[in-house]
Amino acid sequence: MNASDADAALVEKVRLGDVKAFEMLVVKYQRRIERLIGRMVRDVDLVPDIAQETFIRAYRAIPQFRGESAFYTWLYRIAVNTAKKALMELKRDPLVAESARASSRDEDDETSRVENELSDGETPDAVLASKQIAAAVNLAIESLSEELRQAITLREIEGLSYEEIAEMMNCPIGTVRSRIFRAREAIAQRLRPLLDTRVGERW
Amino acid sequence: MSTGSGTDVRRLEQLSALADGELDDAATALSCAHWRGDARVRATWHAYHVIGDVLRSDDLATDPARDAEFLRSLRARLVAEPVVIAPQPIPWLGRQGDPSALRAATGRADRWKVPGAVAAGLVAVAGVFMLTRGVEPNAPGEVAVARADAGVTAVPMVVGTRRGEATAVVDGSASGPVPVSDRILIRDARLDAYLAAHKQFAGSSALGVPSSFLRSATVDAPRR
Repeated sequence: MNASDADAALVEKVRLGDVKAFEMLVVKYQRRIERLIGRMVRDVDLVPDIAQETFIRAYRAIPQFRGESAFYTWLYRIAVNTAKKALMELKRDPLVAESARASSRDEDDETSRVENELSDGETPDAVLASKQIAAAVNLAIESLSEELRQAITLREIEGLSYEEIAEMMNCPIGTVRSRIFRAREAIAQRLRPLLDTRVGERW
Repeated sequence: MSTGSGTDVRRLEQLSALADGELDDAATALSCAHWRGDARVRATWHAYHVIGDVLRSDDLATDPARDAEFLRSLRARLVAEPVVIAPQPIPWLGRQGDPSALRAATGRADRWKVPGAVAAGLVAVAGVFMLTRGVEPNAPGEVAVARADAGVTAVPMVVGTRRGEATAVVDGSASGPVPVSDRILIRDARLDAYLAAHKQFAGSSALGVPSSFLRSATVDAPRR
């Protein structure tokens, strides 16, 4: 999916000094970036720090971003580089390196059990919360009308533009926009009870 | 449709369009203002993107408290960063420089024209060189073709500000770590011909770009 167009408006605002527009991009890509980093760095405790570092480096380098690739592609490369750099630094510290790198261990090893303690992201509550969200989204999608489901699927999974979707669904662009919005809101209705506690404090 | 107390449906529809990059400049500015001012709009932006992520992959499902905490932490670090400003508009290329694939993210599809004449291509090339030339201290000679908006600063700059206090403007090349990026190389035969005729540009390497790297001039980027 080519995200360069979808992010163009926000990236331009960031380049004009709008830090909040950058935060909007962070909220958009945080999960994907963390998943990417998690594949490279096995110690889950390090993932949020490396992800934060990625976004800070991206923010600083925004003047050098010139649209030759999609914004997300560019961000992805920064994440890979940042994770590699972190791994290099870990190698120099043998104690930290042990827990950071994936290794096959004897499950009965006492040290191993301590090092494999669950981090914040993997507490039973957190795992349950994310499973509930996945289940709610999947259930909600099944419950959508065909036209709403098709619209949001073409957008989110196929990555088509509104114009392309309008062609495929043989309807005006305004209708595409409305259908995608209504699909999102229908799903968000099911999610809000799971996501929305303490909204004011949280966001 | 119930969207939570006091949250305007129209605002959320625009937010949805912004998530897809299908909102014009004015509406984008408004949406961003709503995002800044309204926690429910921020929560909805998060919800919409979680929905998109989960549709693509269940393992992107999230613990929402954790996501909000991530942003809070990052925000604290961003506050300490100098505000980044790079006013030069990006010539968005879309897919491999094909303007018909470039959606009107700003609602103005007619911004992008494929130049029919070589001359138009040369103007765009000159525009690119004017941009990089601006940060190169010993640029050899001047580009013959002038840009329409010579008054716009071509140099990306980092302006250090802390809570509104302005400090010195420094050259963009002096900013923090620059990511290694393997840029997509798009070649244009007209560009190659132009450069062959003007060999003094061959060594240009402002901003650390290798001299063999060439940017396509297949889109004309009108300045705002």
